[in-house]
Order: sequence, then structure tokens, then C-alpha cells
Amino acid sequence: MSLNTLTIKKFHDGLLAKKFSALEVAQTFFANIKEHDPEIGAYLNLNEENAMREAETVDAAVAKNESVGMLAGVPLAVKDNILIKGQPATAGSKILEHYTASYDAGVIKKLKNEKAIFLGKTNMDEFAMGSSTENSAFQITKNPRDPERVPGGSSGGSAAAVTADLALAGLGSDTGGSIRQPASFCGVVGLKPTYGAVSRSGLIAMASSLDQIGPLTKTVEDAAIIFDAIRGHDPLDSTSADTNYGNELLNPDFVKIKELTIGVPEEYFVDGLNNEVKTAVESARKTIEGFGVKFKKISLPHTKYALSTYYIIMPAEVSANLARFDGIRYEQATSDKRQATSLKDVYFKTRGAGFGQEAKRRIILGTFVLSSGYYDAYYKKAQQIRTLIKNDFDEAFKEVDAILAPVAPTPAFKIGEKTEDPLSMYLSDIFTIPVNLAGLPALAIPARNYADYTQTNAENFPRESASSQRKSASLPIGFQLIGKPWREADILGLGQYYERTTIPEFYSG
Amino acid sequence: MDSIDKKSLEHLAELARLELNPGEEEKLLSDLKKILDYFEELKSLNTSDIEPMNGGTSLTNVFREDEERENTNIGEGLDAFPESKDGFLKVPPVFQ
Repeated sequence: MSLNTLTIKKFHDGLLAKKFSALEVAQTFFANIKEHDPEIGAYLNLNEENAMREAETVDAAVAKNESVGMLAGVPLAVKDNILIKGQPATAGSKILEHYTASYDAGVIKKLKNEKAIFLGKTNMDEFAMGSSTENSAFQITKNPRDPERVPGGSSGGSAAAVTADLALAGLGSDTGGSIRQPASFCGVVGLKPTYGAVSRSGLIAMASSLDQIGPLTKTVEDAAIIFDAIRGHDPLDSTSADTNYGNELLNPDFVKIKELTIGVPEEYFVDGLNNEVKTAVESARKTIEGFGVKFKKISLPHTKYALSTYYIIMPAEVSANLARFDGIRYEQATSDKRQATSLKDVYFKTRGAGFGQEAKRRIILGTFVLSSGYYDAYYKKAQQIRTLIKNDFDEAFKEVDAILAPVAPTPAFKIGEKTEDPLSMYLSDIFTIPVNLAGLPALAIPARNYADYTQTNAENFPRESASSQRKSASLPIGFQLIGKPWREADILGLGQYYERTTIPEFYSG
Repeated sequence: MDSIDKKSLEHLAELARLELNPGEEEKLLSDLKKILDYFEELKSLNTSDIEPMNGGTSLTNVFREDEERENTNIGEGLDAFPESKDGFLKVPPVFQ
């Protein structure tokens, strides 16, 4: 069976037509994982026994002609900051190395109801802090398109797994670009939903006002299917909303989609934007223009302040959220504890040994911007600028229905290239951050006509041409469609139309 | 805006309950200085009449009835405790 162009829709049709069983497909994925993941490093932990058992349950239901949903038997990769009861959940941190989740995240409950299958937990930057997955306490994940390069981050493990056919689709989380940037670097699709569209219950929190869980998939249609399954109100997350999306997500109205007006913000096409990225985004724009979609220049004047604003608000929330890792409620990372003479000692020793560099940097930075004497100058100021950034989008959305932008300023960079300089790493999220600050939905889609990335994946890994001479021109580049709040249907519909034109093989029988 | 020195870094680490070794301190200090310098750009923006944005949405507060609910998760987190006794979390003494 070729997993290469297998999508959720095709899997579902094949399963019902009894072309293959869910068990066979799960076995094929595990075989792929065993063959290729030692080189890629996408997974931290596998869930093979449970996955096989669940697959058999799905097969039994299909054999009895029971009606099963679109996600039944679909093998998924899950980022390791999302809790699956009884499974490890490290969030890429040594401080949670031996932690086992005691409940299911809201999204996992919903996916279990759909009978989806979880292949395992994927690598990530520690507590989702990073843009390359190099901040994981456990391993490096390589970009399956070029093993010398990073897969992006922080959801780099899930993105790499989907790219290399080590999962049919994956879940990630996006606080400042952590779904969209790895999607762009790996050449897959990633959706960051509207803040509040998806429950955050059971997501190990980084910055609670910015975090959202979303899908990483091969096609936009697959992203829509997963988003439709995981969205909705959850009593365990009071910021999750009960929004009526109707039928539009799964059945886009392409006649309406072609009548959309798309804004192109001048602030996103500035110096520092890599030429290939510019060309790729421009080619995507031209393709979409060919559908009859209108484009309009817009301005988002406070864009340049977004990075600073984010690096004040996010660490402030980090410093509060990570206070719970104290060596008491969760396992301590140091065996020194018995020598610790006081409670305070346990805190210092556990946190000192358990957190990596980036986590410490953000905890200290967050503590600083919230501390007395600096609160107004930094934290409050940043919250005010956050309002201005959101207002920019509100103004723009009076004139346009969605916005087209690059995802990252460059294609995937080399492993080790940015680890020593945190600021240069932070800058790789410059085009994704404003979306989180404003709470908007955004979709990262590989620019398809820019080069041919469709025949990649397991059969083609590792590539013989993968060498240091490899030009970045041959790497995938994503573009971003930013939607109005709760209007995922617009960007998913347009994205799907784009793919039906550019990669029809993913959408046909 | 004010920058950060060794003494204030140590104070912040104390507040955040982080043990730092001297090598880490040095690296953190130089990184934080660069990051705070970067934030200087915000100074030029006048925000005097702008309402701060709290949280990720403009959703209003969510309330529920204060009533008894069945919780099936009781005791489930217990095995994550490094030490427990009779279902309670065991910790070293707070006061000596």
C-alpha cells in the first residue's frame, strides 16, 4: 500500500470498501516508524499495543457494517504536551520525564469517540518553547525533506511524522506559530484555530491566552476533518466557545469562496524576507487570483511591535504556568530531594535541574516583566499594544475576508544554526505571532506550484541528494491564510480549492 | 527602560525558585540584556489611552451553578506524586 498520497478521506473510503483493514494500515505505519524513525526522531513514545487493539475494534465495527465516522481507524501522531490517559506526557522536558497522564485531554476524548487511533507521542521543544524542536530534552528531530535541517517547532515531531508517512495526520499546538512554522518547513498543512475554538483542557499550558491545539495534515481537507472533530465547547475549558460552524467546514461552498477578497499586508513583505519565500508566496497568490479571487493591499501598522509584545506576554504567562512544576505534585527531576532539608530546597533543586535553558530564560524574563516596578513599562504596555495589533486586524477585516502572508521569513534552517542566539530563533516566528496575539485562525499551506514536493515521504527517505550543498530553493515553503475569528471555513475552503487545482492526485479516488 | 544586572538576576531566580549555576547565570544575563534591548522599540509607541487586552478573546466570564458534580477522576493524580502517605501528598517541612 502506498501511504504517499493516502489522505483521511481516501483511508475512510478504502476502509469502508474493505480495500484494507484499519489493523493493516496501523501495522504499515508502525513498520514505517521502525524503519525510518531512528533517523528522523519524530516520536518520543509509541502506543503500539493500544493502537492495534483499537484498530481491531474499528475493523470489527466495519465488518458488522456499523456506521463509523470519518476518523475511525485513522492513525494519528500526538504532540507530547497533549494528555492521553495512561500514556507518558513529557512536554519535551526532563522535569516530566516519568510523568504518566491521569486523564484524557478534551481533544483526545473527542477523537476517542470518533475511534481515531493514536500511534504515539511526538517530540517537541521543551514546553513548546522553540522554533526548531532542538529544545527537546530528549532528542533532535530531523526534517524528513533534508535531514541536516530542523523540522521547525515546536510541533516538529508531529510535522515530521506526517511528512515522512509515520502517521496519517497529527496534532500540534500553536502559541506563536508552533503548528504553522513546522508545517511550512516540512511541506505539510497546519491549522491554528481561532482562540477558544478548541478545548485546551489537558494541553500542558505554555501561555494560556495564546495556546491552541490544531491539526497537521497532508491536505487542507484533512485539516478540516480533524478540526471539525476536535472543536467545540468543553466544560473543562471555560475559554472554549460554543460556536455554530454549520456544515461549511466539511462541505465548502466554492462558488462563495471564489468571491472572497484577500488582503496582502505590506508589512509582511519587507526586507529580511527571504527571496525564495517571497517568490513562493507570490506564486500562490497568482494561482489563487486565477480562480477569480480578488486581492487588495492592506496595512497592519503595528506588525513590527508584535515580536516584542509576544516576548513579554508569553513569558509572563509561562512564569505563572510553569510554577506548578515544583518537584512535589509531579515527579522531581533530581535524586537530591532526600538531601533537601526544606520545601524551598526541593523547589530550587528540582526546577534548576529539570528545566532546560530556554524554559529558564522565559521563566526569568516573565518574572522580570511582572515584577514590581517593571509591570507597567513592560507587561501592561505589551497588553496595550496587543489591543492595537488586534485593532489592526479588525480594521483590515472590514475591507477583506482573509489575509495572505508568508509563514516564516526563511525555509527550514540548519540544525544548530540558531541555538546559540535566542533572538535569531525568536525572529523565525515574526509572521506567525500576530495571529496568536489577535486570537485569529490561520492556515499554513505548502506553496505547491513553486516546486514539486508531492513525491517525498517514506519511499524517498533519506534522499540521496541530501547534502550540505543542497540549496534552500529545493525546500518546501508555506504560505499563510489568516481568517476572521470563527471563519475557519473561509481559509479552509480557499485552501482546499487551491489544492484541488494544484495537487488533484490527493483529492481523486 | 532599565536593564538587568547580576544582582537583579539572582533576585529574579530566587523569586522564580530556580537554582542557576554560574555558567548559566552569565549566559542568561547576556541573553536577557539583548532581549530587553530589543524591547526598547516599544518605548516610542504612545499607548496612553489604550485599553490593555487581557486573555485571548473578548469573551465574557463564564459561570456555572455551584452544585455537586460527580468527579470520576479523584485520586488519579496521586501516582504522579513523588511521595504520598494515605492518599496525601508528602513534602519536607515548610518550617524548621
